[in-house]
Amino acid sequence: MHFRRRFLATLVAGAAGLYTAASFAAVSPLELVAPIADYKIYVAENVRKLATDTRAFTAAVKAGDIEKAKKLYAPTRTSYEKIEPIAELFSDLDSAIDSRADDHEKAEKDPAFGGFHRIEYALWVQKSTKEVNKTADKLLADVLELQKRLVALTFPPEKVVGGAAVLMEEVAATKISGEENRYSHTDLWDFQANFEGAYKIVELLRPLIVKDNKSFSDKTDANFKTVFDTLAKYRSADGGFDTYSKLSERDRKLLAGRVNTLAEDLSKLRGMLGLN
Amino acid sequence: MKDQNPLSPESVRPASPERRRMLGGLGVAGAALAGLSAARAAAPAPSGPPEGPGAGAQVTDAPQSTHTQDRVPFTGRHQAGIVTPRPTAGMVASFFVLAENRADLERLFRTLTARIAFLTQGGAQPDLDPKLPPAGSGILGPVVQPDALTITVSVGHSLFDERFGLARHKPLRLTQMQRHPNDALDAALCHGDLSIQFCANTPDTNIHALRDIIKNTPDLLVLHWKQEGSVPPIPAVAGQPAESARNFLGFRDGSANPDGGDAALMDKLVWIGPDDKGEPAWAVDGTYQAVRIIRNFVERWDRTPLQEQELIMGRVKPSGAPLDGGRTEHDVPDYAKDPEGKVTPMDAHIRLANPRTHASDANLILRRPFNYSNGVTKSGQLEMGLLFICYQADLEKGFIAVQKRLDGEPLEEYIKPIGGGFFFTLPGVRDARDWLGRTLMQA
Repeated sequence: MHFRRRFLATLVAGAAGLYTAASFAAVSPLELVAPIADYKIYVAENVRKLATDTRAFTAAVKAGDIEKAKKLYAPTRTSYEKIEPIAELFSDLDSAIDSRADDHEKAEKDPAFGGFHRIEYALWVQKSTKEVNKTADKLLADVLELQKRLVALTFPPEKVVGGAAVLMEEVAATKISGEENRYSHTDLWDFQANFEGAYKIVELLRPLIVKDNKSFSDKTDANFKTVFDTLAKYRSADGGFDTYSKLSERDRKLLAGRVNTLAEDLSKLRGMLGLN
Repeated sequence: MKDQNPLSPESVRPASPERRRMLGGLGVAGAALAGLSAARAAAPAPSGPPEGPGAGAQVTDAPQSTHTQDRVPFTGRHQAGIVTPRPTAGMVASFFVLAENRADLERLFRTLTARIAFLTQGGAQPDLDPKLPPAGSGILGPVVQPDALTITVSVGHSLFDERFGLARHKPLRLTQMQRHPNDALDAALCHGDLSIQFCANTPDTNIHALRDIIKNTPDLLVLHWKQEGSVPPIPAVAGQPAESARNFLGFRDGSANPDGGDAALMDKLVWIGPDDKGEPAWAVDGTYQAVRIIRNFVERWDRTPLQEQELIMGRVKPSGAPLDGGRTEHDVPDYAKDPEGKVTPMDAHIRLANPRTHASDANLILRRPFNYSNGVTKSGQLEMGLLFICYQADLEKGFIAVQKRLDGEPLEEYIKPIGGGFFFTLPGVRDARDWLGRTLMQA
């Protein structure tokens, strides 16, 4: 009843042209096929690289080569962080691969704490790989399982489109503070990958957005550009990133503001494309 | 005062404890009212607090209020929420301003003006396409009730740095809050480019307003810290003067507060006037806001003998009367008769804060505090205290001078300031075309 009333109000208002947020039925499902297919290729490429990198990373861990493992940690994660917008589609593997200590009741001591961050803890805090041999095996197995599953995985358009916004929400809520890679402080690598991954979705959808709402598209592009320019200031000589602690207070606030704005704007993307 | 009309909706509720007590107190002398009183006294035993739910109410029924339509005017020479009587719930939120140029800063002030006008006056949120996020959080329902909400915007010392070219327009006394000897300031709870004070009848109304402002300014503001607080209501009793609310130390707080309804006094103590030497012209009708988050060690306080508590504060705990006599908090202590502090110690809180000399009149401030409660410390103690807010026309003669006198007071063993900041409260929005900060931006 209430819903119907709201729906009618929407139709009336929509007909009256009160919205700047595009015409909602303008995008047909067919128009989404190509961008979603392209996105699936993007994900597949990243998972392939993730599998290769994780093999090398876990081999270093198992060999007890702490220095090498530390060097490989952040770059290996990059391909995973790029596909995080759709991590919801494999949430069991996501929590196995990328959960943090505070997702577990006993934190670092919790036997269920595994994946990248458990190894990160071993490398940077425990300075020993003794406890994480099995964790490394499990991480590689989970990544390979992800690769296998991907072949048959359906990408619902609303999950992909919504995923860009969801990732911005996550960055705003639990990443911008530098809490994700709290032992290694390699958060800027993750930020770069997260923004690239979210931006990929926006880029693929751009032709559909621009049609009805160029200003939205321009504003979003400008915000991503600010983010990438800000992060570029922290590139290290070897092509990586400085530690999170180097991030100035001012740039942290700037990034936080842009992330909030992107989250706010991208939260309208599904509706703009007529998706549920 | 609550409506005592027997035909009012309230009269159909069971008698509250207060009302029963009051009626009982009328005793035989009140026999003339017997018809009415008997009917009320015969009502079922009260099962809840004053204004509690009526008979037949369901567990999850919303508590009812006759004050959701209370509306404080938004436009005026001064911003609302300063001399406006303090409602139950308060909050201060501090923000970093993300605007990168003057145009964006003006957009921020104009956006705040529009949101505050809507939120404080109430009205329906627009209906949007259900495929989009809704226009607001909806926590007050589709039609926003004003609920006595005031929203007061102030700017910090840091807004006058190089970003906007405002340095030469900085109010004369606006500085960054400095540490006092007993402070243990946490950087995560201090200062900010902009503060917003929210006051309303319910905390939900304040939270709704905060969320609305955050949602409408993502590229302009980022939240730095916030602190909520409340003051306990007291029963309305006909013919009795108002009383000051109690703080979390159990003492009345605000007994000697200057009269916010006295416009001439407020012009002198609170508002920047055209004659305030050295203050920029744009600042006229503004004021200085000092905020302090002051933790109270309440477990320790509760284990302190009553007479010691009273000597530390300088007041009788139950009544609030001064130690040198009198029956109520409104009685004025005569320190001239007690020059050595034999009755009211020289270092009693109220004596240091306000020595009541001719000279100390210059240091009077308008306090507007709320009690806060935040959870549990690592040591398993209650993290609670006072969200102290005060306003004054001269920050140095006001809060800073008073706090300097208080530095070293015996009360310090029980309190620890951990955050806050100094801000300048912008002049009011004159009319529908005016906007917050206009005089500053056009200075």
